[in-house]
Amino acid sequence: MQITLTVNGISWSGDIEPRKLLADFLRTDLRLTGTHLACEHGICGACTVLINDQPARSCLVFAVQADGCAVTTVEALSADGLSKLQKAFVERRALQCGFCTPGFLMTGEALIRSGQEITEDLLREHLSGHICRCTGYAPIVAAFRDALNVSQSER
Amino acid sequence: MKPAAFRYERPDSVAAALAVLAREGDDAKLLAGGQSLIPILNMRLARPAVLVDLGRVSELHGIRRSAGRWHIRSMTTQAELERTPDLPPALAMAVRHIAHPQIRARGTVGGSLAHMDPLAEWPAVALALDATLMLESNRGTRLVAAKEFIVAPLTTCLRSDELLVEIQLPIRPGPQAFAEVARRPGDFALAGSVLSWPAGARPSIAVFGMGTVQTRLTQVEAALAEGFRPGPELRALAYGEITATSDVHATAEYRRRTAAHLVERLVEQTCKSR
Repeated sequence: MQITLTVNGISWSGDIEPRKLLADFLRTDLRLTGTHLACEHGICGACTVLINDQPARSCLVFAVQADGCAVTTVEALSADGLSKLQKAFVERRALQCGFCTPGFLMTGEALIRSGQEITEDLLREHLSGHICRCTGYAPIVAAFRDALNVSQSER
Repeated sequence: MKPAAFRYERPDSVAAALAVLAREGDDAKLLAGGQSLIPILNMRLARPAVLVDLGRVSELHGIRRSAGRWHIRSMTTQAELERTPDLPPALAMAVRHIAHPQIRARGTVGGSLAHMDPLAEWPAVALALDATLMLESNRGTRLVAAKEFIVAPLTTCLRSDELLVEIQLPIRPGPQAFAEVARRPGDFALAGSVLSWPAGARPSIAVFGMGTVQTRLTQVEAALAEGFRPGPELRALAYGEITATSDVHATAEYRRRTAAHLVERLVEQTCKSR
C-alpha cells in the first residue's frame, strides 16, 4: 500500500506491506534504530514513539495506519544537542544499558508537548508504562523531576 | 513475533466498513485501537485473512450527552474519555485503571467491549451502568443490553457482519464506586468491582477480573434492596455468587475472596453517602 507520512519533520512516501509494524518500518526502512523492540506486545514501552504528538506503542501500530500522520522518534530529541531531559538522564545515571531509554524519553516528550501540569502522581503514572531492568527506576524519576516542571501537588 | 500476511481494507465510512464485513464474513477482523488485537496478531494467535482498519471512519468518533444519556461512539479512545468532564463517576474512575496512558492513547471503548477480555474494566462498567450497545449491519441496527452483549470470555453477540458503533449510558443520579486490585498499576486486574446505586432504585454491582465473564451480582443486589448491610454475611453472599478461574497470576479462590471484599467495601462507601 502506498503511504505518505512525516517522520521527525521529514516527509516519506512509498509502498509498504500492510503487516509491517511501524517500529519495523522506522528501524528497517528509515534506519532510525533508536526505537527499540523488546516485548512486541505493548507491555515494556521500549518502542514508544509519538504519533501526532500522542504517545504510541510502535509495535502495536501498522506503518500503514500512520499514513498522513506526523511521527516523532527519539532521534528528534537531540537535533540540537542533547535535550534537557537527556542531559538529566546523563547527570542522574538514569540509563545503563539504554534499551528502555528511548521509550521513557518519548513519554517525556509527550508530557512536555501536552502542556498539562505535571504532578508527581501524573509523572509516576506515565512512567509506569515502561519497564527498566537496570536502574531500579529511582534515577529515572529523579531525571524527570530535574528536567520537567514537576509540581508536588496530588492530581 | 511478526503478524502473518493479511489483506488490508481502510474504509472511510460506516457504510463502507459494513460492505466489507458483509462481503468477507468470518475472514475479516476489525481493527480499532489495536492495543489488544495487534499483540494477538504479532504472536500469530489469530491470522485473519482481511484486516478492516476503522481508523478513518470519522462517524465512529465523538462523545455527546443528551438529556438522559451519554452517547459514546465506538472509536473513542480511553484517553479521550479520560479528558471528558462530568462522566458517570464509576466510568471516570474505571478509565484511569485501564492499562497505561500510552495504551489509553490508542485503545478504544468499542475495541475493549468487542474484544471482551474477562479481566477488562469496560464490560463491568457497562453492566453496572446499564449500558446499551448499538450494533449496525447492512441488515439494520439493533440495540443490545450489556448483559446480552457479553456471551463468554473473548466472545460477544456480535455477528460477523456487525459493527459496534455506539455505547449509550443512562444518566442516573446517585452514588457510584469503583475498585480494582492489581499487582502493579496498569497490570490486568486480579479482582475488581463496579457499583451504581441510583436514587430510589436497586443497586447494580458488577465484578471483573475473575477469569470468567464479567457479571452482575443479582443476589447481592436483591439482598441490599431488602436492607442487607455491609458485613461478613454480605461478603459471604458475594463470595458465593462469584465464579472464577485460576491462572498463573492468581487462584480462583484469591479472586473470589478479593472481589467479595471489594464489593463489601464499595457498598460501605456507598451506604455512607446515601
